[in-house]
Amino acid sequence: MCNFSGRLVAWMDGELAGDEAVEVEQHVKACAECRACVEEYEEASQGFAAYYDTTTQTTRAAQPHRKLRRWVPVAAVAAAAAVIVLLASLPRTAKQAPPIPQVASSQPPMAVQPTIKPLAPIHRAHVAAHRKAPAANWAMADPAIQIAVPADSMFPPGAVPEGVNFVANLSLADGSVQAIRLQP
Amino acid sequence: MSGESFPLNLPLPRFATDSCEATDLYRELRKPLLRYLAGLGLSTEEAQDVVQDAFLSLHKHLAERGSPRGAAPETRPSKTGLDGAPNSQENIRSWLFRVAHNRALNYQTGYAKRMGEPLDPVFDAASSAASPEQAVLAQEKFRRLDQAVRALEPQERECLMLRAEGLRYREIGEVLGAPTSTVADTVERAIKKLAEKCNV
Repeated sequence: MCNFSGRLVAWMDGELAGDEAVEVEQHVKACAECRACVEEYEEASQGFAAYYDTTTQTTRAAQPHRKLRRWVPVAAVAAAAAVIVLLASLPRTAKQAPPIPQVASSQPPMAVQPTIKPLAPIHRAHVAAHRKAPAANWAMADPAIQIAVPADSMFPPGAVPEGVNFVANLSLADGSVQAIRLQP
Repeated sequence: MSGESFPLNLPLPRFATDSCEATDLYRELRKPLLRYLAGLGLSTEEAQDVVQDAFLSLHKHLAERGSPRGAAPETRPSKTGLDGAPNSQENIRSWLFRVAHNRALNYQTGYAKRMGEPLDPVFDAASSAASPEQAVLAQEKFRRLDQAVRALEPQERECLMLRAEGLRYREIGEVLGAPTSTVADTVERAIKKLAEKCNV
């Protein structure tokens, strides 16, 4: 066992003073045994870092789920409240977009008319797969609820099309969006 | 306008007037503190309470104190001379960790429980490897590491956790109330134990 073996971790951690660090560094270069130790310690160190990260993440992961569960009914109530207000003031369509983007944007699944370009590519397959049926239905069916969705909540800044509004048709049962259509 | 209205010559610590700095510190240190407390076995709620308390203490010290030498943040005295409120940006980190660490001592049962129970969800996480063989290997490696970590002395574990958070040996010493040389020995010993048991 080398004289240096008790200082290898401190050297790896950059905790040794200048002269001592240089001394250990030169020794490690020359001593195969210490080099092997440094590799082992490095591996153990990285292993612990990963272990620490994983185990503490497991503990933290519980929080968002609990929050989500609490907020689902709240979102549904908020959606219902928004609908009542809208029905009272805007029976059919909204000329002015109400400031409730989170209600509409948090409600999957959504179907979009072919003329509407979805924001994120990740939604494209989903939209393409579902858009036909609702697109055929929404014109004939008289939706129970409609919510105007601000265009600027669906497009990035600068890409908001002028002179159009979006209307979301909601079902009463679960408050989810059945369709979003473009209205000039 | 009189020069006296400007607090330039008052002996306030330089960060006492800088609330932006405190906000930055909160953003930067909240997660590491939560992680460390989770590592000590606190539940998410307990950890959040402790972190909030720690930052409240810091805020109080910064607001009340006219000089860097204030009352000790905790009842447990430090052996290293960090006996007052933090007096520099660098010391704030170890000060916060120390307050959080000392408060976490009130939750000793959680710590003992955590170290006594296997961490099943983590084994599930390890099994998300690319192939079944890799999953088995990862699980085996994790199992050995888990056993090795549990076999460490509490102070060895704490040193390694604080080191994983990027604290220097001096700061770790301030958190745990130990001389820097003791921290160096403890870290060295802990890493060697892990290496012996895991790199077989």
